[in-house]
Amino acid sequence: MHVTWRLQRLLHQFRHALATPSRNARTAVVLGRLLGIAFVVCFATGLYSHALQDPAPWMTFPTRPSWLYQASQGVHITAGLVCLPLLFAKLYAVFPQLFQTPPVRSVAHLVERASIALFVGASLVQITIGLLNTYQFYGLFPFSFRHVHFALSFVVVGSLAIHIAVKLPIIARYWRRRDAYDADGRLRETESPSDPDHPFGAPDELQRRTGSRPESGVTGRLFAWIDRAPAPEPPDERAIVSRRGFFAAVGVAAGVLVAFTAGQSFRALDGINLLAPRKNGVGPQSLPVNRTAKAADVEESAMDPDWTLTVANRGTVRSFAYAELAALPHHDAWLPIACVEGWSQYAAWRGPRLRDLLDAVGAPEDARVRITSLQQHGSYGVTEMTPEFARDELTLVALQLDGEPLDLDHGYPARIIAPARPGVLQTKWLAKLEVI
Amino acid sequence: MSAGELPHAGAITAWRAVVAAVGVVLLLAGVGFFLTDVRPADYPGVVSWLLGAIVLHDGLAAMAVFVVTVVVRRTRGIPFAVLAVVQSAVAAAVIVTVVVAPEIVKQAIGTANPSILPLDYARNLLIVHAGIAIVAAVTIAVILAVRRRATRAAR
Repeated sequence: MHVTWRLQRLLHQFRHALATPSRNARTAVVLGRLLGIAFVVCFATGLYSHALQDPAPWMTFPTRPSWLYQASQGVHITAGLVCLPLLFAKLYAVFPQLFQTPPVRSVAHLVERASIALFVGASLVQITIGLLNTYQFYGLFPFSFRHVHFALSFVVVGSLAIHIAVKLPIIARYWRRRDAYDADGRLRETESPSDPDHPFGAPDELQRRTGSRPESGVTGRLFAWIDRAPAPEPPDERAIVSRRGFFAAVGVAAGVLVAFTAGQSFRALDGINLLAPRKNGVGPQSLPVNRTAKAADVEESAMDPDWTLTVANRGTVRSFAYAELAALPHHDAWLPIACVEGWSQYAAWRGPRLRDLLDAVGAPEDARVRITSLQQHGSYGVTEMTPEFARDELTLVALQLDGEPLDLDHGYPARIIAPARPGVLQTKWLAKLEVI
Repeated sequence: MSAGELPHAGAITAWRAVVAAVGVVLLLAGVGFFLTDVRPADYPGVVSWLLGAIVLHDGLAAMAVFVVTVVVRRTRGIPFAVLAVVQSAVAAAVIVTVVVAPEIVKQAIGTANPSILPLDYARNLLIVHAGIAIVAAVTIAVILAVRRRATRAAR
């Protein structure tokens, strides 16, 4: 029993020493609101990308505006990055809760604390692996990024909803500023009387229960030393300054991160893109590349002078040599390459329309199309396209980029380019198009 | 006033049930995806990352911040507002560094092609740090000037 009291005393002293003006229920609610919005935005934009890459049979997608996918993934990565300072701040605001006494009060309390541990761990991992993925730092993951990021997104958003449900009375109580603080900036407390840690706040009680003076022992002396310079409390003006400084720090950190990285997704910020993993205009033909011809092992097959593009609709099969494709009516499309990793860049593409090639083999209007690359290995060597993209007037079998033949790394001799689609589905080094 | 006395306590109870149910469904879906999509060989890696994240954050990062705040709290002779500005600037600089550091490491290891991580991130990070320092210095100068004027006016 004595050990239990000593542990509780230690936890209490920790909580006491951790108290600062910015660590209260109101700041947790303010940060929680922002973080909740950012999490839901990331979840929605992530699901959209996942659905495009792995569509269920009944799904159709909008093909306009052509920047829809680009914007959604730019927002996904930027919001994910903003989550980092917000999450650190939220955890900072509630950190004393880690030392609540007694550590476990009931089975329900244990479940609540375990669910919060899962929520915190999953959120930290989700944001960290998302960030590292934009650097293509796969060497750090002892798991498949794509599958774990997908599964964790449901764990995080589910835990978020459960957390909101558990805390809803506190959230409602501190939602509005005028309900949260009195005229002096003091938090209007509601919890103290029912807070099991409350009796420890009375110095005599702590001594009576533990049998030793609060400032005795190594930890007691250490905490007494810390307590000699306590954090300011309202109405002390410094407490207000401290609280505002805290929010300023979060705002500055989020602002700096967005300002110097979002240029890879949003052209207006390109001039101050100092820290993003991609830079507009950097790459072959001034356009970034993800998988090169060398990495895809297509250098020989793509440069083969006997290359042909096969277009098939069941029994009807036609083969187009490069010269035959080049002789077909060409169309122009001003479309972005937009990566799930957040970067994107517009370019001028030119080539025959995909639908003209499909019509050449009598493909039905509602045909789904299987697109096969010369690339033999990797997940995106074979992809499928739903009819709304295949029939779109902007969807090209592109032979040219910015008025020149495609660079080998951009998919020479021919690639798919379609509006509002993920970059990984803009199949390069085309070999075959088949109606499914 | 406790939560039970709020006028819309009934509505809150109803919402709690709905939101909690949605949360449980999503959480179970996440667990389901783990069991169906993620290879069992990856489970130990995922679990070690989840535990590692909590240990690194709560045990190391948050404790380091705690020690720093205790030390700063005992600082004498520096106006509180100046300390707050310095703390904000340092926090922002640390977070940006945490984000960019793995980028610099990965660039040093090498990337799949030259269009990935093409910038001089170490130099650019220093530029951003310098920018934060300049903004903090200007803010501090303004705060001190305002304080001086207020002190003079009070005399």
